[in-house]
Amino acid sequence: MAWPTKPSATMQVPRRAEPYVTDAMKAAWTKDVLPKYATKLGCLMPILHDVQHAYRHVPYQAQLEIAQFLGIAPSDVLDTVSFYDEFTVEQRGVVTIGVCHSIACEQCGCGSTKLIERVREKLGLLPGETTDDGQVTLITMDCLGSCDTAPVALFNETLHENLTPEAFDRLVEQAAHAKAGGHH
Amino acid sequence: MPTSPDFKPTPVLTKRIPEDRSKRSTVSYDQYVATGGYKTLEKAIGMQPAEIVELVKGAVLRGRGGAGFPAGLKWSFLPPADGGPRYLCINCDEAEPGTFKDRLLVDFDPHLVLEGIAIAAYACQMQTAYFFIRGEYHHQAKVFKKAIEEAYANGVFGKQGLLRGASKFAVDVVLHRSAGAYICGEETALLEAVEGKRGWPRVKPPFPAVKGLFGRPTIINNVETLAAVVPILESGVDAWKKLGVESTFPGAMPSYGTKLMGVSGHVNRPNVYELELGIPLRTLVEKHCGGMRNGKKFKAAIAGGVSMGILGTDQYDAPMDFDIGRKFDVLGLGTACPTVFDEDTDMVAVARNISRFFKAESCGQCTPCREGSGWLLKLLTRIERGDGTTQDLDMLLEVAGSMGLTPGTTICGLADGNNWAVRTIVNKFRPEFERRVKPRFVPVYVSAAAGR
Repeated sequence: MAWPTKPSATMQVPRRAEPYVTDAMKAAWTKDVLPKYATKLGCLMPILHDVQHAYRHVPYQAQLEIAQFLGIAPSDVLDTVSFYDEFTVEQRGVVTIGVCHSIACEQCGCGSTKLIERVREKLGLLPGETTDDGQVTLITMDCLGSCDTAPVALFNETLHENLTPEAFDRLVEQAAHAKAGGHH
Repeated sequence: MPTSPDFKPTPVLTKRIPEDRSKRSTVSYDQYVATGGYKTLEKAIGMQPAEIVELVKGAVLRGRGGAGFPAGLKWSFLPPADGGPRYLCINCDEAEPGTFKDRLLVDFDPHLVLEGIAIAAYACQMQTAYFFIRGEYHHQAKVFKKAIEEAYANGVFGKQGLLRGASKFAVDVVLHRSAGAYICGEETALLEAVEGKRGWPRVKPPFPAVKGLFGRPTIINNVETLAAVVPILESGVDAWKKLGVESTFPGAMPSYGTKLMGVSGHVNRPNVYELELGIPLRTLVEKHCGGMRNGKKFKAAIAGGVSMGILGTDQYDAPMDFDIGRKFDVLGLGTACPTVFDEDTDMVAVARNISRFFKAESCGQCTPCREGSGWLLKLLTRIERGDGTTQDLDMLLEVAGSMGLTPGTTICGLADGNNWAVRTIVNKFRPEFERRVKPRFVPVYVSAAAGR
């Protein structure tokens, strides 16, 4: 969780000509999301998930477009985006490696500290950083709910359990060459 | 009294989930129905809603999410139906380090959870159920989404009314994915998150049963609690009350039923076990988890999720029931998912790790928690590095003791978790901390004249 300083009112939002929120997305949300929540703001989280999933970030332009689609204030969108760890304004890599560093993963097996160290050695990444080619992002995560198979790490949406340094190395190697769009 | 000496009854919640991890697979709708599934919902629909609430109240089903508040009592707080919408929120924001029990139900027997949801929704006349699952449970969200679709396709939910119109009362289930914030497991923060806002806990009262989601009466229950409603209705209150233990305190609430206990840490067979409440930790570890790893000795265990505090070396025989907090100087049973540590564990590192978690997950709304959690982490990091002083140790306890609901300084209980974890670890392993800190000499000034 973070409490970032809000961009000032005079901040220039970087823009591209092509909108992030496509007509197909709008149609899907109108059909699947809007009927499920009593307020427009309530629909925000499923929508943010879709945008984050599609672009690996929720840029300011997309936030403005979402606010317009829902008819809510852009600051409401920013408020929610900035609170939740899964929504990022900076683009994440093609593969995000999320190493769990909570108590069981730090204490059991080879330990999460060692896994994080391996990524630093191989890719030169510290937690929170993305490789220059935009391929891999390393983050540390809190308890992934798999303490019985510690240590664990998420590679995008796939959980890998009972990790050894060797198995983890192979996964990092694959991540460094994975193609965008494919699930790791 | 427990039904067997090793506290292992015929499974109630996990009857379709084998203990051997390699033999587990998701129970589909057809498999669920073939093994007696949704029969209990049928039975429930034949009853008056108020009857079901009374039944669950009579079974003293205590909430499985951590607080142990009786579910039936919570349900009875709802005001009489006024024709407007009422909501059920299912808390599957299982994000506390050490806790991984709800995942088992969602992964392998999602229809048991859905049946419990349908019964609760009918009993309390709530038309919409939001299944709030944490963002990191990608696979589980997919499994549960599929289960919801199966249930809709077979008419359990939807416009026609529960169970293909067997009841006129219609229930909808919505899967709502959170996005990586532990605080959203707090019930009012969860409501804020479903409303699309940042997960800031609300000041209570008003309690959610009166004014909850979208300003309407709302009940929030844990996944396991709702799953337990099914066997209570199926086999009756008496069968449920045979499981578990009575409280040893006069007049205190009993700990009935079985509990999913997820054991992690330095044991030979970490896993989720369904056992009766009241099982001593030693029996749990030695008998069911194959003992301590590498033949090491037991040193400590987190009671049930890091916020509950730690059980010391001499508390290995602590019974895992809802009395544990009053007897063993921990906050409570929590989720009954102990993380066990062996004799080689560095307790300073454990305390530091837990503090890092709370600092990262503090929502930032209340100053004592936002600032205090940062201070605890700084102090513990310093002590772990070997730069701490005896004064830091005192400051640690002072800061910890000043944050949380118990001293009345915060809106929710997150800071209490941090407080109890740090305080109990330092108090129960004080010599270990003292060995790591340097004495701090306080300069005493003596006047020059007197010195001569």
